[in-house]
Amino acid sequence: MGKGDEKNKTAKGKKIENSDRACSDEYDDKTDKTNFKWDPLRNIADDPDEALNIVDSRLTNLEKEYFKSQKDIDENFNNVFSASSISRREFIQWTALLTSALMLPTIFAPRVARAANILTRTPFIWLDMSDCMGNTEAFLRTAHPTPAEIILNYVSVDYMESIMVPAGYQAEARRDETVKKYKGKYILVVEGAIPTGMNGKFLTIGAKGKTGLEITKATAKNAGVIIAVGNCASYGGIPAAYPNPTGSVGLSSVTNRQVINIPACPANPVNLVGTLVEYILIGKAPMLDSLGRPLWAYSGRLHDNCYRRGHFEAGEYVKQWGDDGAKKQYCLYMMGCKGPFTWNNCTVAQYNQDMSFPMRAGHGCIGCSEPAFWDRMTPFEKPNLDAKIFIPGVEATADEFGVALFGAAGVGMAAHAIYTGVKRRKNNKEKEKNNGKDNDNNKDKK
Amino acid sequence: MGNINSSGNDSDLKVVHRMTVIKRIIHWTLFLSIINQIITGMYIAYPFLIFGKTPTQADSPVSGVLNSGETYQAFIMTWMREFHFIGAVLIDVSFFAWLYLAFFSTKEPLYKSFLPFGNKINEMYKMIKHYFTLKNKPETGKYQDPLNAIIFTFFHLLLLLQMATGFQMYVASFTGTSAVGAWWPAMLHICTDWTLWVFGGLTGVTLTHLFITWLIIIFIFYHIYIEVWRSIVWKEGDILIPFGGYKYSRDNLKEDDTD
Repeated sequence: MGKGDEKNKTAKGKKIENSDRACSDEYDDKTDKTNFKWDPLRNIADDPDEALNIVDSRLTNLEKEYFKSQKDIDENFNNVFSASSISRREFIQWTALLTSALMLPTIFAPRVARAANILTRTPFIWLDMSDCMGNTEAFLRTAHPTPAEIILNYVSVDYMESIMVPAGYQAEARRDETVKKYKGKYILVVEGAIPTGMNGKFLTIGAKGKTGLEITKATAKNAGVIIAVGNCASYGGIPAAYPNPTGSVGLSSVTNRQVINIPACPANPVNLVGTLVEYILIGKAPMLDSLGRPLWAYSGRLHDNCYRRGHFEAGEYVKQWGDDGAKKQYCLYMMGCKGPFTWNNCTVAQYNQDMSFPMRAGHGCIGCSEPAFWDRMTPFEKPNLDAKIFIPGVEATADEFGVALFGAAGVGMAAHAIYTGVKRRKNNKEKEKNNGKDNDNNKDKK
Repeated sequence: MGNINSSGNDSDLKVVHRMTVIKRIIHWTLFLSIINQIITGMYIAYPFLIFGKTPTQADSPVSGVLNSGETYQAFIMTWMREFHFIGAVLIDVSFFAWLYLAFFSTKEPLYKSFLPFGNKINEMYKMIKHYFTLKNKPETGKYQDPLNAIIFTFFHLLLLLQMATGFQMYVASFTGTSAVGAWWPAMLHICTDWTLWVFGGLTGVTLTHLFITWLIIIFIFYHIYIEVWRSIVWKEGDILIPFGGYKYSRDNLKEDDTD
């Protein structure tokens, strides 16, 4: 934090007075002065100094709002990390990691640290819709949590069914109060798909029996930033798998505000914290891809970044679980790895305390960060070639159906050929007869 | 041949020019590259030859495991994909040349025969009828008959679909820029991203690509069959068209001059 403060002091000189906080009472994206260019993937901004100034003034304002004094700022992280025995050094290392993961220049590292500090005090609502709470579990239950997970454990959660103290009416009152008090400032994280069938009656939550649909709509309306975490919240996930009797949809389908999707099953804590930190830094969503995912995390295809890619190119594949190829870490393409169809950063920012990801563990990717992965990526342990094709009335793979059609066409052609042969012979005979007659007639005439 | 001699029609045979050099080049380019695409594409979909020897993956022509030595010597998938891409480029160039000629060919713009208008659709049914009755052979001397024209058009639409789905899979590994500049992946995204919505994600696109391959294989066999059939039944040397560009014609000769 010391470094961050130094940077802060130097930046204060250039501070633009009228630069507005994004977390103002007007939470509409358009009224925020956050329309500056922000493109970490290429060049940060047209004017880098301007971007830095905006970020710095934003952080200063947020610190003023959420912390009592400079002492409070400095002590906050010590308190958070001392409980988990993370040293300042480890935190600084993690800051560097996150900065580079966010594709930001090094100059942003201290600012990322400050933003992470602010993040632990930012009002936070975590809604659970229809899902297995796998993301919550993944974030909360880690034996050796990384700073990302610790930050998630210490965020100022005002409403989160799984860990909150209030219950029943009190819990709901707490949520409503947060929505009212921190209008346009609070972070809304939604986990789980939202059932829309029967007007949302498939999911009712709380003492008043409100539907998940109502709660989500009401809470999303005034949120500062809306994040859908996990595949269910992003695209409907498993609750929305065919035939989807509850009419479950992703969060972006029920609100007309911008939703940042952090898909995967469960989502990587680094991706969630990184996105939140970037929101704290710039007050708006990071660059998103066409599926609403932050580009810094989801721009790389797993197959292209996989450490087994060389074996793919060399034609060396695991053919059977536990065969010699598996021991030698050959490519899992023929064991149904969906890495070629999946965009995520598992291979870079890994799971389980930055330790592993599916391919390293010896199993193929199941494509959990893609829409409708339960329908599109199955069967998980067979190559995509063995998937059934979506043609009504056809229950076959592309090859089976293709071969069947080819066979039918072949039979048809053969039948036609035989038919032609028979018919021609008949015609010829008739012709010969006719010719004979004609000849006879001619002879007669002659 | 006895028939022809006996009916004394030999003098009626007339040589007709049907395919220009460019069209023949397009035809055989497509032929060779599609054969190449089928072989390499099937390998990419299902790598049937496993290179690289391990004790449990020993040499066996039955299971398709061949020893190619060290990993760095194999690179079989790389080569398959490389040839698949080269074949794709050849098909694309041929396709667009075909498309141009289909509209602007001075000899015979194909759109005149494939657009199903008026008597064209009638002629098409006549040809189908002829295939099953062997009677009343429609006139196919100078130009392509509408049935063939429509089937060829359908085939080229399949090629177009293959291009769209193929380029969608190709552009998947780009991250916004390329060796020739950002316009290339951007253009491919603009042209092919609709396939993701139509066919259900990249896996659906892949399966579509594979399924259309089968339709193309069926077309190839149909095409060869019907041309051989025509050559045998009509005795007009239809099979010679893509080689020499000429066929013989025995019908419609009197009205030919009025064309």
